[in-house]
Amino acid sequence: MTSEQSSKSSSRNGSNHLLKRVWYSTSVPVFAVLLALLIGAIILLVSGADPLQAYAALIKGSFGNTEALSRTLQKTTPLIFSGLAVAFAFKAGLFNIGAQGQLLFGAIVAAVLGFGIHGLPAVLHASLALLGGAFAGALFGAIPGALKTYTGAHEVITTIMLNYIAINITDYLADGPWKDMTPGNIVARTPKILDTARIPSVAGLPLGFLIALIFSVVTWWLLRKTTIGFEIRTVGLNPNAAKYAGIKVAKTIILTMVLSGLLAGIGGAIETQGVVGRYQPGFNTGLGFDGITIALLGKTNPIGVIPAALIVGAMKAGSSQMQFSAGVAKEITDVIQALILFFVAADMIVRWLLRIRAAEEEKVTLSTGWGQQ
Amino acid sequence: MKKLYLILVFALLASMLLVACQPKATEAPVQEPTKVPEPTEESCSSPDVFCVGLVTDVGEIDDKSFNQSAWGGVQQAADELGAKINYIETKDAKDYGANIDLFAKDGYDVIVTVGFALGEATGMAADQYPDIKFIGVDQFQGEAKPNLSGLIFPEDKSGYMAGALAGMLTKSNVIAAVLGTDLVPPVVAFKEGYEAGAAYVNPDVKIISTYHPGGLDVAFTDPEWGATTAKQAIDNGADVVFGAGGKTGNGALIEVASHDGLYCIGVDTDQWGTVPEAHPCLVSSAMKLITPGVFNLVKMAKDGNFPSGNYIGEFGLAPFHDFDSQISQEIKDKLAQIRQDLLDDKLDTGFPPED
Repeated sequence: MTSEQSSKSSSRNGSNHLLKRVWYSTSVPVFAVLLALLIGAIILLVSGADPLQAYAALIKGSFGNTEALSRTLQKTTPLIFSGLAVAFAFKAGLFNIGAQGQLLFGAIVAAVLGFGIHGLPAVLHASLALLGGAFAGALFGAIPGALKTYTGAHEVITTIMLNYIAINITDYLADGPWKDMTPGNIVARTPKILDTARIPSVAGLPLGFLIALIFSVVTWWLLRKTTIGFEIRTVGLNPNAAKYAGIKVAKTIILTMVLSGLLAGIGGAIETQGVVGRYQPGFNTGLGFDGITIALLGKTNPIGVIPAALIVGAMKAGSSQMQFSAGVAKEITDVIQALILFFVAADMIVRWLLRIRAAEEEKVTLSTGWGQQ
Repeated sequence: MKKLYLILVFALLASMLLVACQPKATEAPVQEPTKVPEPTEESCSSPDVFCVGLVTDVGEIDDKSFNQSAWGGVQQAADELGAKINYIETKDAKDYGANIDLFAKDGYDVIVTVGFALGEATGMAADQYPDIKFIGVDQFQGEAKPNLSGLIFPEDKSGYMAGALAGMLTKSNVIAAVLGTDLVPPVVAFKEGYEAGAAYVNPDVKIISTYHPGGLDVAFTDPEWGATTAKQAIDNGADVVFGAGGKTGNGALIEVASHDGLYCIGVDTDQWGTVPEAHPCLVSSAMKLITPGVFNLVKMAKDGNFPSGNYIGEFGLAPFHDFDSQISQEIKDKLAQIRQDLLDDKLDTGFPPED
């Protein structure tokens, strides 16, 4: 293993090199997914189900017809945004666990603008609600950024705490001032948003998914092709060196968290406007946390986030069909998802199985250490 | 920074353009009745095969409560009516409709949905699939649909019987009720009935009823609060405690069980089977008979006399189990008479409140 790691690859030129790079950066996630499915199959077998039948049902339920495909894309959309939010923060060495809270605020603000404003034309109303959700997420993302910059509070702690604050505030709002007062309703939820605020599907293709694709490309471009992206990545690699090079580290950290929160907020807004049609506590559970799995599975690459989100989204969309046709407990998809995360995080196992050299792969900087400014 | 703003503006503009692409989707979507696939042998779309599907709320099929009781009724339909049965446990609350769709598209004849939260999705599915019969457990129907029956229960009558039992059992003349939130009408019905029933048999009885002060998210899952509240009632002299509110109520039952010589009364199902820790005090439970309710509706759907609108399920007290010998024949007779009077609507349960 050590000798393999230290040895240098001989060919370093042209398309061959590019191909290799793509292979090195995708091989671990791809094999992590395959390994997880394999172990999932063994678990299915032990529990008495037919794994082939179960996986066939999973695929049928997620890609089997236009309706299934549309559902998969709907499930994928918020995951792309939360994955982008987490991946984006990773680039600056920040671990944004607060995507869930930022997403919730985006979702509820989009709902309020969606049901509270009357008389706007459809395009304007939907855009306004989307912008409002984005702004709410950005604002909620700014808090941990500012706390880190001005007080040194680690963003892992503050974002976890802010998630609880977000959950409880949105619960209160949906059961208090913004509650759906339709006679007979006892559930905590906001009223339905107006049709003018909805983000529809066109011929089975949810427009929210297209917006997610656009934001993936924009995020990639921002990080790779702009000065601000360069600054963010430099801060992520080494804040001290960045400071020495004249980059305003404090500003960059706050900006990164604002943009990360913005992405999560848009994800929540699209969920409200495109899928749920209102804000209801419990309807957005876990979307932000799944972003961590997806960011890691996508190697924190904004484009890589898309296939990663698609895999998790497809499993979410197909799990009911799997229960229905193969009698498999709904928890199995959670197990497979956890296994994927496990193999991506513990990539040593996958590398050892595949004899992949770590040195060749693009280094991913996750969160910087404690106390680092 | 300038470049960043440009990018942001571009991205947001692009999203708005996409939103602008929406065709006439601003009009309310028209749902056309969906065609059921051509029948094949042994498949549910064949008229000879009677299929019953069940969709749970976000919860397990073996929750020892609601979902399990409803599934019991479906299983009985498999045994006695030869129905082909299947269930889906809902994982994501957004999938209520999609899960109902899976059964509908496969040509199931009857679909049972469990819990108030599925009411909206069930109503929409009933419009979309006029040939399929829907049973909504605990889903009150404001306006009747021909193929949808809401299975609801007279919780006030069930509570009334529990109150009558408590009123006759108490020696200290103080009884208590530890309740989930008053945001949920069935809980209020249980409480009002309990108080009316106790006062009916024992006009001097003092009743300490306490609602959980929290919201829907905690009111039914707070056994610590239930235990503390039960303890307070006991300190104030209560010797019979009615626990009505999911795990919160269960917490109250278990607290009472740790004191000697006190009685507790469970709720919804026969909690002798679901909360064994409460055996030292659990004299009975105020039941909503979900299992026979679901079975009867499934049978009526098969026989072609499916009722639309609201279908009132049965109520009653659970067996006394180990306490059977302690309950005098006099009390049993009185309870039987009260039950008959309730069935005949001769007694005022105090619910719904007069307006």
